[in-house]
Amino acid sequence: MLKDVLRAIDYSDCAEAALLLFLFAFGLMLVSTFRLSANATNKFASIPLSDKVQDPRHE
Amino acid sequence: MAIAETSDIDPSTTGSQIESFSYDDDIVRKFATATLFWGVVATVVGLLVAVILVLPTMFETVPYFSFGRLRPLHTNAAIFAFAGNAIFCAVYYSTQRLCKARMWSDALSRLHFWGWQLIIVAAAVTLPLGITQSKEYAELEWPIDLAIAVVWLGFFGVNFMMTLIKRRERHMYVALWFYIATIVTVTVLHIFNNLVWPIGWGKSYPIYAGVQDAFMQWWYGHNAVAFFLTTPFLGLMYYFLPKAANRPVFSYKLSIIHFWSLVFIYIWAGPHHLHYTALPEWASSLGMLFSLMLWMPSWGGMINGLLTLRGAWHKVTVDPVLKFFVVGVTFYGMATFEGPMLSIKSVNGLSHYTDWTIAHVHSGALGWNGMMTFGMIYWLMPRIFQTKLWSEKLASLHFWIGTIGILLYIIPIYAAGLTQGLMWRAMDSSGNLQNPEFIDVIAKIMPMWYLRVVGGALFVFGILLMAVNYVMTWKMRPATYEVPVYQAARLSKTPPADTVKEVSDLEPVPVLNAAKRLDVWSRMNWHRRWERLPVRFTVLTTLAVVIASLFEIVPTFLIRSNVPTIATVKPYTPLELAGRDIYVSEGCYNCHSQMVRPMVAETKRYGEYSKPGEFIYDHPFQWGSRRIGPDLAREGGKQSSFWHWEHFEEPQRLNEHSVMPSYAHLLDTKINFKRIPDRVHAAHMLGAPYDRELTEAVEMAKQQAVAVAADIVSQGGTIRRGDVMTLDSQAVALIAYIQRLGTDIFAPPEPTAEELAAAAAELDAAAPESATPETE
Repeated sequence: MLKDVLRAIDYSDCAEAALLLFLFAFGLMLVSTFRLSANATNKFASIPLSDKVQDPRHE
Repeated sequence: MAIAETSDIDPSTTGSQIESFSYDDDIVRKFATATLFWGVVATVVGLLVAVILVLPTMFETVPYFSFGRLRPLHTNAAIFAFAGNAIFCAVYYSTQRLCKARMWSDALSRLHFWGWQLIIVAAAVTLPLGITQSKEYAELEWPIDLAIAVVWLGFFGVNFMMTLIKRRERHMYVALWFYIATIVTVTVLHIFNNLVWPIGWGKSYPIYAGVQDAFMQWWYGHNAVAFFLTTPFLGLMYYFLPKAANRPVFSYKLSIIHFWSLVFIYIWAGPHHLHYTALPEWASSLGMLFSLMLWMPSWGGMINGLLTLRGAWHKVTVDPVLKFFVVGVTFYGMATFEGPMLSIKSVNGLSHYTDWTIAHVHSGALGWNGMMTFGMIYWLMPRIFQTKLWSEKLASLHFWIGTIGILLYIIPIYAAGLTQGLMWRAMDSSGNLQNPEFIDVIAKIMPMWYLRVVGGALFVFGILLMAVNYVMTWKMRPATYEVPVYQAARLSKTPPADTVKEVSDLEPVPVLNAAKRLDVWSRMNWHRRWERLPVRFTVLTTLAVVIASLFEIVPTFLIRSNVPTIATVKPYTPLELAGRDIYVSEGCYNCHSQMVRPMVAETKRYGEYSKPGEFIYDHPFQWGSRRIGPDLAREGGKQSSFWHWEHFEEPQRLNEHSVMPSYAHLLDTKINFKRIPDRVHAAHMLGAPYDRELTEAVEMAKQQAVAVAADIVSQGGTIRRGDVMTLDSQAVALIAYIQRLGTDIFAPPEPTAEELAAAAAELDAAAPESATPETE
């Protein structure tokens, strides 16, 4: 029955929904990334340079 | 020997108890050694298969060393043994340092190491024996697949995730994101592409058939490249390149965009491996579109890597580690430009099935994965062995020999691929093929295959130089390794309050409250929290991958119009099933495709183009991905059974330029008729509408074998070879299968019930008229 229901769905709408979903999620990620402060990104980027524990260990 | 490394942490500021810990570098040494060992094995086997292509009769009496059996061994060894161990080496070294924590469980680390090596050994034994699922990069049979799932997820995945949870660094550095994506996606791909119906320890059939099997395979195959050979190596790049250059990554923002772009986009791109095949057009177009979109983030990553060296380019001239990294990242850029280009349908129409794909793959595997691995190991050697690198000169020599080797490999093979594509499609002014004989193309590219051997040999030689350097450096190690002990407090459960600003800058401004809330929300503090929560982050990454996959997979499986059935296409006979299994076991798909694309040059050469409905009983599909030999989709009936018999015995007798090895052992080995009912029942379970076959499989197989053997003998073949009667030989089963290929579509359709009834009524109506005069 589930198969029949799924087969009855018009998948052309799903393709558009998928594209919108993708664009939304991708856009969210872009906004999130560009809102990061330079201070935070500099700190994150230098994490691998030292093996010692930094303190305080937050942003 | 333990060395205490004090830190300036004041427990009173953290409110937590100070903990002591050290990093487990022994596991890193183990994986580094395994990387080097399997690197030698993988490239030596690669060199061997390259030699076999130019000297096809080299191992003619040894079936275990045929190209069809060794090529999967080479690819599996390169991907899962060499690159796999390199990934683990990178993950175990960098994760501990990025998390400021020892791996969660030493026991799981060792179980992972030894379990993985055991899997590789199992692959090295089973593949030459012809035990294979015949799905590229997923050839290993189901017991080994189960072991992979346990070792990958149960040992490695759990250990890694628990280390993240117990980490002492608040922010998860971007390299860790790439590792998370690798672990979850490879798990999903591995499980769903390997769902099979087993009939024994060494034989199973995929639950998918034909088009759907092809779709699943290339969803897996493409993303195995993406999430096994790309994302973990990007994690490696984002950790080891800044380390080696002693500079932070050029743009951390770009690295985040790089990560999410790959996770969102890569998973859709698989169908570009199936352009112009029987795959539905929409899936093919979707694959192309997303492949093209991949170009930008990939180049963003490459540029980010190269610009990390800003102000440090003078070091590149003297530091062999940086030399390897620069060439590795450059090859990443080249391969990720070429990949999207090859996904464009018109380009793919020329490149697919040719050596162009092989050159592309080796540009990525040798140039990107190989060079990044070598750079990492040279950087690690002095650190894990706590001594100087034995010889920097030798490392530089390795770099130059390896780079020249790669170029000597890929340039002739690009030329060979273009030559193949252009010669296959060349038509004369009268509309006929200019090169109707497939073998003419092989003869033309043979010199390029010889050059590949030279390039491959140089690359292998470079790895051997590295092995010498590795052993000599190891010999200079101290009697006891120093183990620095670090001290740090555990992370508090909540981040310090000052990092989460929940008050909008718009507070004093006369705007709507909604605008203020939007301002706070768009600061994405919630996303920052996610980045600190490994489990939630992993779940979200998995969702991104799974949702994208489902949007492609569900329609492919459920829309009937994707695979229109053809009334005349029937299941294989019991003997043909046995023959098909021999075809799979010998790895024939490594050289022969079974897919005639809808192009004039292809239909002229091979016949009617392939339809999706022709493959509904193909478990697994056998479309292949390259043509060292001609396509076989319409091979049935083209040659006599005796021709095939002779061809298997000695291909060069029928065509002196043939590069096919002898399969004389199939003439000398008996069919195991007792196993045939198992094959029939499995096919029935997977959808083949069998009836009499279920109870009389052996008798039916023997009857067909007699008919095929009689055909062979009547045309000049022998009745027996040694102890084996022709009618009992495996070659007969394989010939039965080959003679069936592509013929069903031309079979006259069986009359329907209505047509039979109409014909009977017509006869009834005609009968009294003809009978009447006699009775009268």
